[in-house]
Amino acid sequence: MTRIFFATDIHGSDICWKKFLNAGKFYNADVLVLGGDMTGKALVPITQMPDGKYKATLLQQQFILNTEEEVRDMERRVGSRGYYPFRVTPEQLAEFEADPKKVDAFFHRQMLNVLEKWMALADEKLNGLEKQCLVCPGNDDALDMDDVIRRSKHVQLAEGKVVDVGDGFSMVSTGWTNITPWKTYRELPEPELAAKLEAMIPKSADMSRTVFNFHCPPYASQLDEAPAVDENLNVKDAGRSLIPVGSTAVRDVILKYQPLLSLHGHIHEAKGTARIGRTLSINAGSLYEQGVLQGVVVDLDPRKGIRSYSLTTG
Amino acid sequence: MSQSTLFLRKATGLVRSWSVFDAFIYAFFSINLVTLGLYIFSQMWYLEGGLIPTMIVSGVIIVSEVVVYAGLIAVMPRAGGDYVWQSRILGGGVGFVLAVTGWWFILWLWTPLYADMLRHIFFVPLLGIAGLKDAALWFAWDPGAWFLVCVLTCVFVTIVIALGMKTYAVVQKFCFWVGNAGLLVVCLFLLFGNQESFKAGLEANATKLFGAAPGVYDATIAAGQAAGAIAPLLGGSLAAIFLAMPYIVFFNLWPNWGATLYGEVKGADDFKKNFAGMAWALGITTALGALLFLLVNKTIGWDFVTNANAAYWSYRWGYTPDTPPPLYIWPYPALLAMFLTTNPAMQFIVILAMSMWFFGWAGTVFLSSTRVIFAAAFDRLLPEVVASVEPRTRTPIWSLALMVVPGLIVSALFVWDLLGFRSLTLASTLVIAVTYLGSTIAAIVLPYTKKDLYEASPIAKYKIAGIPLITVAGVIFAAFLIFLLYQWLIDPNNLYGISYRNVSSLVFMGVMYLLALGIYLGARFYRKGRGVDVDLIYKEIPVE
Repeated sequence: MTRIFFATDIHGSDICWKKFLNAGKFYNADVLVLGGDMTGKALVPITQMPDGKYKATLLQQQFILNTEEEVRDMERRVGSRGYYPFRVTPEQLAEFEADPKKVDAFFHRQMLNVLEKWMALADEKLNGLEKQCLVCPGNDDALDMDDVIRRSKHVQLAEGKVVDVGDGFSMVSTGWTNITPWKTYRELPEPELAAKLEAMIPKSADMSRTVFNFHCPPYASQLDEAPAVDENLNVKDAGRSLIPVGSTAVRDVILKYQPLLSLHGHIHEAKGTARIGRTLSINAGSLYEQGVLQGVVVDLDPRKGIRSYSLTTG
Repeated sequence: MSQSTLFLRKATGLVRSWSVFDAFIYAFFSINLVTLGLYIFSQMWYLEGGLIPTMIVSGVIIVSEVVVYAGLIAVMPRAGGDYVWQSRILGGGVGFVLAVTGWWFILWLWTPLYADMLRHIFFVPLLGIAGLKDAALWFAWDPGAWFLVCVLTCVFVTIVIALGMKTYAVVQKFCFWVGNAGLLVVCLFLLFGNQESFKAGLEANATKLFGAAPGVYDATIAAGQAAGAIAPLLGGSLAAIFLAMPYIVFFNLWPNWGATLYGEVKGADDFKKNFAGMAWALGITTALGALLFLLVNKTIGWDFVTNANAAYWSYRWGYTPDTPPPLYIWPYPALLAMFLTTNPAMQFIVILAMSMWFFGWAGTVFLSSTRVIFAAAFDRLLPEVVASVEPRTRTPIWSLALMVVPGLIVSALFVWDLLGFRSLTLASTLVIAVTYLGSTIAAIVLPYTKKDLYEASPIAKYKIAGIPLITVAGVIFAAFLIFLLYQWLIDPNNLYGISYRNVSSLVFMGVMYLLALGIYLGARFYRKGRGVDVDLIYKEIPVE
């Protein structure tokens, strides 16, 4: 029997990444799978003041940091929420404010730096554990993140590949999604996404032993319900208007091939399970800002298929 | 110029903001003046605490609840509410038992209560105004009619769930404006009317529309006096006001139902906005209630209203079985106000508009239950099938069945008063209060037991005398809930009817908690046999 632990959308949270690396031991899982969106969404400047102290604003609350220890603690708190802390002088901060391209470039460097550190930590923690670790960047992850993952010894880049996960089961993965209002790195119109998915699914595969690890959930599956936003990205009806935002292409390939299992993320609020035909589809959801690693433990039995599964809040 | 404190990139889910007014609308409907409010106020005719001071004092205390829930949402947004907060902080077993009893099982008991409100503010007055007196009185008094309304309530909620929240959010906004327009007209009638014109209007309308005997005003006063009506509008000692609270919280304990759980990379603003949405709803509803009853007092007369309530409920509860109320329907204040006119079209339109307070509110009753059932199924404590959705109508057939079927069974017990079920009205509030107490205890200990989680939240800086605000508010609200539970369960003054002396109440609630515990332990045992350790579901993975 193969036990898979799947988590997704940790968005730069150091705590969630460390928990993910420890999840193999904790849940006794053979295979660890991270379903995408590893990189953070926010930069938090920690600004040096003329008197040598620092100040930072986290969650709209200002903190004056008197000692190096307090600054480091703030950096830890910022990082644990998935944001990137950086120390600046007021002059450097003014330069960032004046030049959005400079911010973008810096953001990009920070994402790569943190991901490199994460891969180094993974190589250290997974060394000698005999656990398979697959990572598939999601639509919020820049394309050159793949190169950083490729360089890891113990983390396998899963994007676009069919990977053997043991006991005759294989996993097909992609982090590409349908178009979102945010115009992120890995988005395609539905017809092109459908073609991409078709190209990566092996036609001769035994679908009763195949897992789809597609970042985007299937359309109208309840795993894709997100609060509706207006053209200015304001949430409508105080978040009560939930609409399906998943991919029709993902839904179509699941219905067409009927894999044993499909694993998804992307819509953090839509944690849950659904049956798409015979396929068990799961969105593990995400609470990365709280340092909570949501996930799912699935036991794959060569004779029975899915022996059991549990959604976890670790 | 202030310097930037945060740089965001384009990333999925980064929304800008949401409207406090929208949040206010949903919280405003949750503490619903016209349905919950008027229904429960009418049952308080024998209490000595003034209605308006009781509303105000309880409203002030319930602000602590608003702080607790806005705080929990700020620390753990998008987690899914009481079930996840309690499971995470107090443990999976406690979370499951309190959530399924408070958000699922007890909603079965709310089904006949919702239906009772619906028939009295919709079917009875509208049919009477339409000239269908016999049909109106059938809906008013026949248990079969009441049960039919229970079925219709379930049908309405099923349609709402099938339509989805996007559609229902639009419906709710429509109902908000139309319902409030109706209330405005009612208030205008009360403002410009006087007691003499009301007496004449009552005599004309009650006899014509509902078959009351002539002299209905004086007869109602006399029947109410005989039944022992004493509830004042204003005044009452502080002790009397507190003793009226276990009743009034049936109406105003629910501002948190309007809370918004969304928002990412946000901070103190979301806490403040959530707090504002709920607190404004609580404050404005209280003010509106006070205004309405001051106007009622001016034109209808508080004496008449409280005596009409006493005459009606003492007969319905069987205290005066040989004395039917002279006004032979529930004394719905909006209908009484519309007796100030004899124009049936005006009466019909205003009462129809007022019924929007029900339709904009009632749809969400089973949605919360559906969410808890789904969450429990995802945690493998219920079978996977109960979280399934029928693909064509997108309706969660199984979870709805788990609400509707037991809801109708409990409705039948309540409607026909089998096993003493009709005495259980306030148990509907008690069980949810116990669930709230669980979340409140979780909130009190949160800063100490989940230090990292709390310290990384936007409310970490809010303190009173060095103690976290959420803990202080939690202690106040917990003390209030414990007071309520003491009054309900021990009931030293014998006021609420659901104490330990009411065997039906104890058995009903006991069965619910045992059923929840049985499901939890059974599922745990079953899953263990299949290699799933349920205890691991909410256990935190070590970081280092």
